[in-house]
Amino acid sequence: MRVRLLLVLALAFAPALGAAQTVQNATLRRAQQALNNLDFRQALSAGQAALRERLTGYERARAYELLGFTYSGMDSILRAVDAFKQVILLEPERDLDPTRTSPKALSAFQVALTQVLVIRQLHVDSVSFVGGQGVVAVRYTVTQPARVVTRVLGPQTSLRIDSTVASGQVNIRWPARLASGDPVAAGDYNIVVEATVGQNNFSTSQAIRVTHGAVDTLPHLTSLPGYTYLPETEVPPKSWKPMGLALVYTGIALAGTSAFSSGDLGKTSLREGSMIGGGVILAGFIMTLRKPAPQAARGNVLYNQLLREQISRRNTEIAQENTRRRQQVALSVVPLPRAGGGR
Amino acid sequence: MSEKRWTVGRLDGWTVALTLVLSNIPTFQLSAQHFSVGPQIAFGDYREVSSDLHYRGSGIAGSATVQWKKFSADVVLSKLKYKPSKDGTATKEFDASEVDVRLRYYITGPVSGELGFMNRTADPEFEAQSVGAVTAGAQMAYLLGPGVRMALSGGLMFGSKYSGGGSTSALGALHLGLGLTVEALRGRVRVTGDYGFQRFSRTTNDGSGDTAAPIQQSLGRIGFALVF
Repeated sequence: MRVRLLLVLALAFAPALGAAQTVQNATLRRAQQALNNLDFRQALSAGQAALRERLTGYERARAYELLGFTYSGMDSILRAVDAFKQVILLEPERDLDPTRTSPKALSAFQVALTQVLVIRQLHVDSVSFVGGQGVVAVRYTVTQPARVVTRVLGPQTSLRIDSTVASGQVNIRWPARLASGDPVAAGDYNIVVEATVGQNNFSTSQAIRVTHGAVDTLPHLTSLPGYTYLPETEVPPKSWKPMGLALVYTGIALAGTSAFSSGDLGKTSLREGSMIGGGVILAGFIMTLRKPAPQAARGNVLYNQLLREQISRRNTEIAQENTRRRQQVALSVVPLPRAGGGR
Repeated sequence: MSEKRWTVGRLDGWTVALTLVLSNIPTFQLSAQHFSVGPQIAFGDYREVSSDLHYRGSGIAGSATVQWKKFSADVVLSKLKYKPSKDGTATKEFDASEVDVRLRYYITGPVSGELGFMNRTADPEFEAQSVGAVTAGAQMAYLLGPGVRMALSGGLMFGSKYSGGGSTSALGALHLGLGLTVEALRGRVRVTGDYGFQRFSRTTNDGSGDTAAPIQQSLGRIGFALVF
């Protein structure tokens, strides 16, 4: 059981030493070798000896971490916590992999986190938005309850964007505007987070780059998606109505003439009525044979009118929106690679 | 010979001028007002008092139409020479000059209301009755097809006055009409055909009681009109 636990410890420790920065110090390498061989006594003495030598920051953090694991393996939890506290102060962003680290070492690391004041995992999201209509999300974790002040420092700008007493994860929404309401000028800025508890304080920063761009304008509409204009005229089906009506009109005229003629005046003359009536019937017949003229489709005309009004109204709104957009600025905020940790 | 050539040349000139004018007159089909005027050939049948006084004749007429919004007005002038028909006993011909004025107001659908007056004078004065009356009635118009329109009208004629005296009851005088207009040359010219029937149930009284002396005319007119 004990051997398995130590193997896990060793596996967890190995990647740390094999990270981008490598351990050059021979004593520290010997201590690491001893830990890999589960020789805790040798690992402890070599690790302590390495700390007395000249080490880089990275090597020093590795040396304390090795001591933390060694003390955890030796069930000396308080000393393990002290060693991990040094690791956290040296590398605030340092985290142990819970799947590859022994519970004892993990718990010692967690206890160490609560005993030092650091700000970890300061993160600024990349975001683009129209000035005044969006926010930049900033989040960080403070390990102890503390007064935390967040500032944005630029070449000509110093803005305090948040001040709070907090512990744990904190989320800030920064609108990227000056006190006057104008968007911040383009350039490189630092988001600085300072935590203070009594005499202890810690600060960390994240560089960001703010760029300005033109806000995209909306294109004018020529049609509404899903709606098309309908033909405003339609050819009615061929019918005998013109012929029928010509017959009816002529019939009424001739029958009326005949009916209203006075009996005293002899036989009614239908010559004049017949000639004109014949012309009417002929015209009706020709019109019946001809392709009917297109007629206005009232429903379609009203539909098209509504569609045109909708498009016109929408274009008016788009024009107003574009006028407003041309006066706006598009802000892009991008976090820059971190230069170093906190202090 | 030269006189003849000059006449033909002048006719050609008028034809060319008319064609140019017609081709340059803008159409006002979409505007609110129209005006048309044109000549017509008229032919008619006239009867009076009995089947013995039967005349048939022909002549010329002219019609003018103006249209404005829902209003329209027709003015028809005609002059016919009526000759005694062979089946009658009349011996003298006469000229009938008629003025027919109608003011029309569009009501709904195909229906328009009509109000107007007519006056017909006979020359020689004693060969036939001159008559005048106020007309009121209605017209139904229907568009048979593009540019082809027919109309049926009818109504009563009130306050009839006759040169030879006599009277007519309120419902005793009526008129009927049938018309056809065909637009040509992009609506600049209208070919027109009109039929009108008038009947007056006139009665006279020479002291021996009322005597029927009806008057009846059937008139056909065919022509064209220029549209402005």
